[in-house]
Amino acid sequence: MKATLAPSSLTFTSLPYSSSFHSSSSSLLFRCPSSSASMTTTTRGNVAVAAAATSTEALRKGIAEFYNETSGLWEEIWGDHMHHGFYDPDSSVQLSDSGHREAQIRMIEESLRFSGVTTDEEEEKKIKKIVDVGCGIGGSSRYLASKFGAESIGITLSPVQAKRANDLAAAQSLAHKVSFQVADALEQPFEDGKFDLVWSMESGEHMPDKAKFVNELVRVVAPGGRIIIVTWCHRNLSEGEKALQPWEQNLLDRICKTFYLPAWCSTDDYVHLLQSHSLQDIKCADWSENVAPFWPAVIRTALTWKGLVSLLRSGMKSIKGALTMPLMIEGYKKGVIKFGIITCRKPL
Amino acid sequence: MRLITHNMLSCNIKGVTNGFPLRIEAGNVIEKEVDFNPDFIRHMFAKLEWKALVEGARSMGYAELPEDSPDAAVLESDESFLKKLHHALLELHLEEGALVCPETGRKFPVNKGIPNMLLHEDEV
Repeated sequence: MKATLAPSSLTFTSLPYSSSFHSSSSSLLFRCPSSSASMTTTTRGNVAVAAAATSTEALRKGIAEFYNETSGLWEEIWGDHMHHGFYDPDSSVQLSDSGHREAQIRMIEESLRFSGVTTDEEEEKKIKKIVDVGCGIGGSSRYLASKFGAESIGITLSPVQAKRANDLAAAQSLAHKVSFQVADALEQPFEDGKFDLVWSMESGEHMPDKAKFVNELVRVVAPGGRIIIVTWCHRNLSEGEKALQPWEQNLLDRICKTFYLPAWCSTDDYVHLLQSHSLQDIKCADWSENVAPFWPAVIRTALTWKGLVSLLRSGMKSIKGALTMPLMIEGYKKGVIKFGIITCRKPL
Repeated sequence: MRLITHNMLSCNIKGVTNGFPLRIEAGNVIEKEVDFNPDFIRHMFAKLEWKALVEGARSMGYAELPEDSPDAAVLESDESFLKKLHHALLELHLEEGALVCPETGRKFPVNKGIPNMLLHEDEV
């Protein structure tokens, strides 16, 4: 049964967002703890809409500039994957740099496995076209294109990232399989139903309008194709809870400023948005325990001599970003921040 | 930007129903050699929008592709055709120029080989 969803605009304002919908019990397979949190729609007047539009422009510009400035630094220290590593929970072994790189590859493989893409060879062969939404410098695209022998097209708001991604592809002799352009994930420059795999690895947190973001992902995925969203969320709200606690919201707000993030949502919110489209096999999981070693490792690398020098050279956005990292650890420790994966399939 | 990418891009301005294919205004086109991989070309053929490819190639100065999409059988037998397809899809680079929406005429700039498909506020 389809859940009806009133337009949910989880937008970039400091007002607590809310949307109302009825989520009827469905026969969809989804394994996350179901939350019956209901939220009420805020109606927006013209002024508010205009303000939101301008702030969306400002956010887009901020994101582009942030990544223009910091991508080089990240690549120098961590390589071409700009996402968390996947670790065994409670792994206390302090990993080497290569251990962390391996964990980042494992994150890709675990995501593919969770979504069912790599369950059998027949499934894998069907993947001919991939879109990498929020592609960074193209680490995922190049990996996935290689793995599946498919074509991958990546989109990012940052021209610096797009250029670097294309250069790396050429250097790795993958230029024929992957390409990168500057485009907006909320207005993807593609016709409907083009991609067998729609990949969003840690880009969802930047999207100011989660409903529009999900709409676009669903629009561009081909019948039979899969959507994989791996993203930072806040914890699911409990029954009757309308919003996060003020201290929790405060913590997230401080992170939002330096990382150019709009309002956060929960894994449940994504599930509900997907449920409002006719999709199959909607699944989600909380991988917060599997990413725990990541931020401490990033901080350690930032505090090395090389890290500090590079930070100072990069600029204020990078420095502020680095100073915000302990807040990420605090957020995870206090159960406010969750690392979630949400996947689904479009029916044939 | 190569034609393999152009074959996927369309104009997403609000209200536009005919945003594909984008017309190419070629400013600077360069040729970069890419290793010929016949299997990859055959693999890609099925999902190509042929007319868009032919027109795009012509805009970039390459007119060797047939007007009509050939039979799949040609892919197996005719290596010279595969090579032409390989050349058009992968070896022609639009470094500077623009992609033009067929319905609105809106130009999306291409700089240093990268198309900028971002829409303005009044276009969404």
